[in-house]
Amino acid sequence: MTTRRQVLRSAVLGGGATVLAATALGSLGPEAAFGAAAPAVTPGAPDPNFAEGRIRSIKDNTLFVLGSNMVFHRIRVVDGTSLWKLGPVAFDQAKPGDGLYARGVRMPDGVLAAESVWLNIVNIKGHVRTITSEKIHLDHNGQEILCHQVPGKSVAVYSDAPPSADLSLLRVGQHVQVLGAWRPDTNQVDIATVFSPH
Amino acid sequence: MNGIAALQPYVIGPLLVWAAVLKLTGRRMRAQAGRTALARLVGAARAVPALRLTGLLELAVAAALLLPPVSPADGVAAAVLSAGFLAYLTYARLAAPASSCGCLGAHARPVNVRGFARAGLLLAMSVAAIWARPHPIDAPLAVLGLAEAAALVALSPELDRAWLVPLRRLLVRLRRPLTVPTPGEVPLEVSLRLLYRSPAYCSASARITSDVRDAWEEDGLRFVVYTAGARTAVFALPLAGDDPSEVRVALTDEPAMA
Repeated sequence: MTTRRQVLRSAVLGGGATVLAATALGSLGPEAAFGAAAPAVTPGAPDPNFAEGRIRSIKDNTLFVLGSNMVFHRIRVVDGTSLWKLGPVAFDQAKPGDGLYARGVRMPDGVLAAESVWLNIVNIKGHVRTITSEKIHLDHNGQEILCHQVPGKSVAVYSDAPPSADLSLLRVGQHVQVLGAWRPDTNQVDIATVFSPH
Repeated sequence: MNGIAALQPYVIGPLLVWAAVLKLTGRRMRAQAGRTALARLVGAARAVPALRLTGLLELAVAAALLLPPVSPADGVAAAVLSAGFLAYLTYARLAAPASSCGCLGAHARPVNVRGFARAGLLLAMSVAAIWARPHPIDAPLAVLGLAEAAALVALSPELDRAWLVPLRRLLVRLRRPLTVPTPGEVPLEVSLRLLYRSPAYCSASARITSDVRDAWEEDGLRFVVYTAGARTAVFALPLAGDDPSEVRVALTDEPAMA
């Protein structure tokens, strides 16, 4: 691990730049993205390069996922795949029962070669009912959701200020939006970011 | 027992007057009438007249309870009204579980166990009021009356804003339940927001195909790794400071796994 990180570290510190210039690979600017062919997805049809659902089982580097529309997905996780579970995590953090969203490239055999996988990610709006020890009790349409503060990871964004690790400005009764990681089969969430309108 | 019965009209009466005044004069209440379960029961167009009619009924029962002469019919009327409230709540719970009840002013919360407890308490008090005879209200009875009123307030979600929210705010201020951040510790999310605003990220974003793959801290710098097609994009950000132009980026071929 260290070796790999050291190589990457020396790459960015040695040969890094504050802006990437156009290279032999072609332009790296946004025009390259805008110029790219639009994804061939028919409006209303499911995006073949996207999958969602809950992990039923894991075998080697493949996740077997049952979608909420009962469609079965096989999702392959490779070295270049990013996994999110309240932050970047290793593949062994993916557990059966976890919900996920995955984006990647659909292979001819139907397997989704994942570029990014987000485990248990949720985005909830609600009112702060109360705040107890490291927990924000959220009232989401009359249902309580317990949002846990994770020291060192949870941040708050007040209005459009830069994010802050200090959640203490949140007030009982106010409206918030919580981006976090669901704890499967509970009404509990670990907070990644809590957005406050003020 | 006689005293308890005699006390009930003085607790139920003001509650009904208050509910009636809110229904008859509350502008917000009228505006939100369409969102109550009443609208489901009688139709959205008739929600406001139905609300007014309920208010008038409440006012009439309150007047009968509070004004002499004292008669068992007053208690019976109150009990019938309370039973009606309970039936209405049951209907709301079954037919329109997402609607509010519109009982005591406007709010958006659906009918829950508190609403039922309040209507049940009201029914019990109304039934007790049937046996009301003229009786002096002494100090223990006054305490009981206040306790009943407090229970009604505690069971009213409409009134939470008046006492429960300020109480919880005070508790939060006193107890400080959330962990104070450790100085010098910068959550990854803070760095990522700086990264997204940086020219380095903007110039590379069209190549990036994954979310964050790896991130670590070293010598006051935070390194963040993304997949960029067949290559790897690695960023170096200052841990302290908020100048996005200090972010550095390199696109490199994937190093051989150690």
